[in-house]
Amino acid sequence: MTAELSISGPKTHWEVLDPLELALRIRLRAVRMVAPQGFGYLGQALSAAEQVAAVFARATPGLDRLVCSPGHYIIAPFAAATELGLLDEQIVSTYGQNGSPIEAIGTERSPIVDYTCGSLGQGLSAATGFVMSDRLRGSDARTYALVSDGEMEEGQLWEAAVFAAHHRLARLTVLLDANNSQVDGPVDSITTIEPIADKWAAFGWHVQDLDGHDIDAVSAALSAADAETERPSVLVCRTSTVHGLDCLPPDADGHFIKLPPDLATAAVEELTGKLEASRA
Amino acid sequence: MHEPPYLTELKPYGRALLDMGRRREEVLCLSGDLTRQCEIDLFQAELPGQFIHGGMAEANMMSMAGALARCGHIPFVHTFGVFATRRPYDQIANAIAYPNLPVRIIGFMPGVSTPGGPSHQAIDDVALMRALPNMTVIDLADAVEVAQVVDAIVDVPGPVYVRLKRGEIPVIFDDDHILSLDRAEVLVPGTDVALFASGMLLAAALGAARVLGEQGVSVSVINVPVIKPIDTATIQGAAAEAKVLITAENHSIIGGLGSAVAETVAEAGIGRPLRRIGLQDTFAEGSLSGPYLFEKYGLSTQNLIETAWTALGRTGPAPTAPAAAETGEYSPV
Repeated sequence: MTAELSISGPKTHWEVLDPLELALRIRLRAVRMVAPQGFGYLGQALSAAEQVAAVFARATPGLDRLVCSPGHYIIAPFAAATELGLLDEQIVSTYGQNGSPIEAIGTERSPIVDYTCGSLGQGLSAATGFVMSDRLRGSDARTYALVSDGEMEEGQLWEAAVFAAHHRLARLTVLLDANNSQVDGPVDSITTIEPIADKWAAFGWHVQDLDGHDIDAVSAALSAADAETERPSVLVCRTSTVHGLDCLPPDADGHFIKLPPDLATAAVEELTGKLEASRA
Repeated sequence: MHEPPYLTELKPYGRALLDMGRRREEVLCLSGDLTRQCEIDLFQAELPGQFIHGGMAEANMMSMAGALARCGHIPFVHTFGVFATRRPYDQIANAIAYPNLPVRIIGFMPGVSTPGGPSHQAIDDVALMRALPNMTVIDLADAVEVAQVVDAIVDVPGPVYVRLKRGEIPVIFDDDHILSLDRAEVLVPGTDVALFASGMLLAAALGAARVLGEQGVSVSVINVPVIKPIDTATIQGAAAEAKVLITAENHSIIGGLGSAVAETVAEAGIGRPLRRIGLQDTFAEGSLSGPYLFEKYGLSTQNLIETAWTALGRTGPAPTAPAAAETGEYSPV
């Protein structure tokens, strides 16, 4: 989380021309990052691609902050940053390898984001800290926090949610990746976290419940969050860990996808084709 | 140094933090719903713009403090020692210690200074914090050192944990005493026993040394306010000159001062019998008064005397500590 390499670093700049295309490129890049190992956190990128693409399209470079609460999702910001020229392709190609600075689960060394942590449920608290600091300093920055639905099982998330609403941290936007997936299986088979939207609303948040793979819907919801001046906002993004990659077998484990060489080749072909089609 | 009975002071920490907050606007004061108990009610009243109430939510408070420190603030986080360490341990590890951020964690009510029972008695906080890389760990009880600790730690580059007694703080040192984060201090020289003490056990150590000295036992007393990084040179020097080593702390004998001294002397190859005064790998209990617990769990001046006496192989009854050698008020919560 080196400041000069984070999206809020004063020298950081990028431009997103087409968020839909960026989401496709995030998927393709993530496949290429995971392929050398044959397994990895590809499902997180497939699930969050549109959210991450929309945030990069919306955020003010060199000012706004990005928190990636579940460190396992760091592949998605890394993939986006690579496609936007913020990260060196050679370095990113070492993702998850021994000695690589680009670790598979986000750490303090992880570039691009302002905060990430492999111990789950902590990112929203960090995000509230950033927003409190920006308020104390009179900064107009916005903090985007990518949070996963499984993290709603951690008590700390609700501590942070109470705090943020009490302090009216309207410069905080949470993208809640509601993919109904955690290590042991579907979230709803382990704990009932629904009604998600009602819970956040009851805590005093501005809530939008939407299709997290509809890039226009995510972008519009981010705009609506920007317009909110009294409450922190949460986008409950309904997603899937296997979205946008049809070649995956139906029983793929979304938390930790296996990608043997033949499947990796098929995935690259499929996504390259979709990318070409989107440009046509 | 003053002689007992020691005079006491109230809120030396709270006054020092307020003074620092007035001088440095980057200093923030965070409270976990124990504002008066942690002496920061004054700060809240005088500098509300630098005060953040975290509520009864320690995990969030620690993670938030880490983020604030990333932005250039210097957060001082306040709650009781138990809630400051056990409860948000993972948050301190990941959001504060690992990124080596200048968060100051102030844990009040160390060890059995409270009769509030095991839920309120921080008997393992030093051990927990000492195990975290980058963390500085400090245990104070004298009002002169407490008044200096805010200035001493404000610009430490990494995180600091300070455990502080509540209520009346004895004044042991003279006004010109200087708290050092680098050096332990040999307060009394001696050649039979080296008695290493931190925090609330310092007064008892000095009292024990006095009584033993009257019986011809030469005891050195070493004040070790900084448990980590520990001053190995002073500890090894004092240990090498003594026949028997004793550590005394208001904490479990596992992981705190006793362990730190044992590691230090063993690594230097200094072979001496070592006795560790502290909670003997046990939880304590709730009670009416703190002094009862100090007595029951072996943290008394008398127990220090007897431990030294038997460790030296002296025969006959050990000398007796004068009554009420210890000072202090123990506030129940």
